[in-house]
Amino acid sequence: MNTITLRNTLPEVFSQRTDIQSDVWLQEVVFEKEKTYLVEANSGTGKSSLCSYIYGYRKDFQGDIFFNQTNIHNLSIHQWVEQRKGHLALMWQELRLFPELTAMENVLIKNKLTGYQKRKTIDEWFERLGISDKHDALIGRMSFGQQQRVALIRTMCQPFDFIFVDEPISHLDDSNSSIMADMLMEEAKRQGAGVIATSIGKRIELHYDKQYKL
Amino acid sequence: MKLVWKLLRQHISVPQFAGFFFANLVGMAIILLGIQFYNDTQAIYQSEDSFMKEDYLIVNKKIGTVTTITGKSNAFSDAEIDDAATQPFVQKTGAFSSSSFDVRASFDIQGFARFSTDMFFESVPDEFVDVKTEDWSYEAGDRSIPIILPKDYLDLYNFGYAQSRNMPKLSEGILGALKLRIDINGNGYQDSYDGQIVGFSSRLNTILVPQAFMAYANSRYANNAEILHTRLIMQVNNPTDDRITTYLQDNNYETDQDKLDASKTTFLLRIIVAVVMSVGLVICILAIYILMLSIYLLVEKNSTKLENLLLLGYSPSKVSLPYQLLTLGLNLLVFLIAFAILLVARDVWLGLFADFFPDFTSPSLLPAIIMGIVLLIVVSILNIIAVHRKVMSIWNRKD
Repeated sequence: MNTITLRNTLPEVFSQRTDIQSDVWLQEVVFEKEKTYLVEANSGTGKSSLCSYIYGYRKDFQGDIFFNQTNIHNLSIHQWVEQRKGHLALMWQELRLFPELTAMENVLIKNKLTGYQKRKTIDEWFERLGISDKHDALIGRMSFGQQQRVALIRTMCQPFDFIFVDEPISHLDDSNSSIMADMLMEEAKRQGAGVIATSIGKRIELHYDKQYKL
Repeated sequence: MKLVWKLLRQHISVPQFAGFFFANLVGMAIILLGIQFYNDTQAIYQSEDSFMKEDYLIVNKKIGTVTTITGKSNAFSDAEIDDAATQPFVQKTGAFSSSSFDVRASFDIQGFARFSTDMFFESVPDEFVDVKTEDWSYEAGDRSIPIILPKDYLDLYNFGYAQSRNMPKLSEGILGALKLRIDINGNGYQDSYDGQIVGFSSRLNTILVPQAFMAYANSRYANNAEILHTRLIMQVNNPTDDRITTYLQDNNYETDQDKLDASKTTFLLRIIVAVVMSVGLVICILAIYILMLSIYLLVEKNSTKLENLLLLGYSPSKVSLPYQLLTLGLNLLVFLIAFAILLVARDVWLGLFADFFPDFTSPSLLPAIIMGIVLLIVVSILNIIAVHRKVMSIWNRKD
C-alpha cells in the first residue's frame, strides 16, 4: 500500500453540524509512505475515530477512505486481517493490552502471529525504553506510562506501510518520549513506512512533513 | 496459540461445562442404548425362520365340533387345491402331504436324557423350503433323512424341560449335530434311519421331510395309500391383501397368525424405543442448549479480549478455534463415554438374551456407532457455527 486517501470523510455524529472547520474532515487528504504526519486536535473532534475508521474497526462515517485505489468499504474480512497483520500498524490511545498477560507475552502474542521481529530486537527495545525488568510483570500491575512503552513495542512487531500512533506519549516524560520517537522513526525508516501521529497537546517530537488540524 | 488459549480460557466456568457434559452424556447414552437395544431385539425376531419366507401363508380348514363328530375329513380335495392355486393373489400353491405309516423317533443326549416318541412326518414341495439343495434331498435307499423341526419343540425343551431339571440348554447348532434315530413301521417292513436336523421353523408346526422321501416312504410302508392333504402352503404377492382374508372366510379356512403377533410385538417395541429415544434426544437438545448458553456467556465475558485479538490481526476463525476445539473435545469425550456405557449395558442384555435364545448371535454395533457419530458431527457443527457467529458479531461490533 502506498497511499491512504480520505475523501469527504466525516464521522456520522458530525453530519448535522454545519460549522465544520477541519483540515481532514470533508477534505481530500492523502497520506503517503515514507512521510511523517501530525494530526492535531482538540478532544472530541474525532481523532481516535479517524484511527478506528482507517483501521477498519468502526464504519460510522460518511465519505470514502481508499487504500491505494481500493475503497475500504469493499475489503473482505480476510483482506482486513491481512492489512492488520502486514500493512497497517496502530498503537491505540487506550493501548488495548491484555492485563492478564505479562509485558513480554503481550508483545509475543502479536509477534508470534506475524513472526516479524527477532527476539533480540524486542529485548533491545525493552532495554532502550527502560522496562527490561518488567518482562514478566503483569500488564495490569504496570503504570500507564510503562504500558504505553509496551504497546509501542507490540505495535512495531509487524511489517507495515503505515504506522498510526494515537497519543503515544501522553503519560511519558521527555526523555522517554524522545527515545520512543527515535525508535519509531528508525523502524519506520527501515520499513519505508508512513508515520501518522496524533496529539491533543503533548506531541511526540518528529520531523513532520505535514501537520493537519482536525 | 498457547498465549491465545491462556487469554481465552479465562472465565471458563467448570460447573457449566460439567453440567453440559453430564446432561449430554445422559442424552447420548439413552439414544445409543435405545437404538442398539432395538437393533438387538430385532435380531431375535428376524433370526427365527431362515428357511420360510415371510410371504408364505399356511392354510388349513377350520376344525369345529361338527367336523369331529361327523368324522368329516378336513383334508383338501383336488378341486379345492386347484381353486386355491388359481386365486389372483397367489403366486404358487403347494399341498402338505402327511405320512400314512408309523414313525418312532428317539435320541440321546449323552449322559443326560433319552427321548423317544411316536411321531409323524409331513412334506411340502421342495421349492417352498429355503435350505441348500444338498442338505434337503433324499434318494431312495438313503439311510439319512433331513428333517425340519418346529421351533416350539426346542423351546419346550429349553424353557420347560431343561429349565425344570437343570439340564443344559440346547442351541439349534448343537441339535443340528445330533442324530435322531428314526424307526419306521408299516406294510410288513421295519427300518431305521438317521434323522439329520437341518433347521427349526417357528412358522411350521410340523415335522418336515423332503418330498422325495415322503413319496418313497408312502409307497414302501403304506402301500401307496391315498395321501390326504390337510394343509396348503401358498406364496402370495402381498400377505396383507384383503382378498386373502375374504377368500379364507368364504371357504371356512384359517391361516397361521404367528407372523401377525410377532409384527404387533415389534410394532409396540418400536414405539417404546422411539419414546425412549425421543427422551434422550430432548435431553441432548437441552444439553446443547446449556453448552450454547455457557459459550455465549464465555464469549460475552471475554469479548474485550476477543475484540483486541481481532484488532491485533488474528482472523475470526483463529480466534474461534480455541472454543471450537474445546466444545469438540467435550463432545468427543461424551461420545466415547456414552459408547463405553453402551458396551457395558449391552453386555448385560446380551447375557439375558443368550439365556433365553441360545442361538442368538449379536448383531453389529454399527447402528449405534453411526448414530453416535452423526450426533457427534451435528452437535459439533452446531457448536462450531455458534462460536463463529458469536465471534463474527464481535468483529462486526454488533452486540
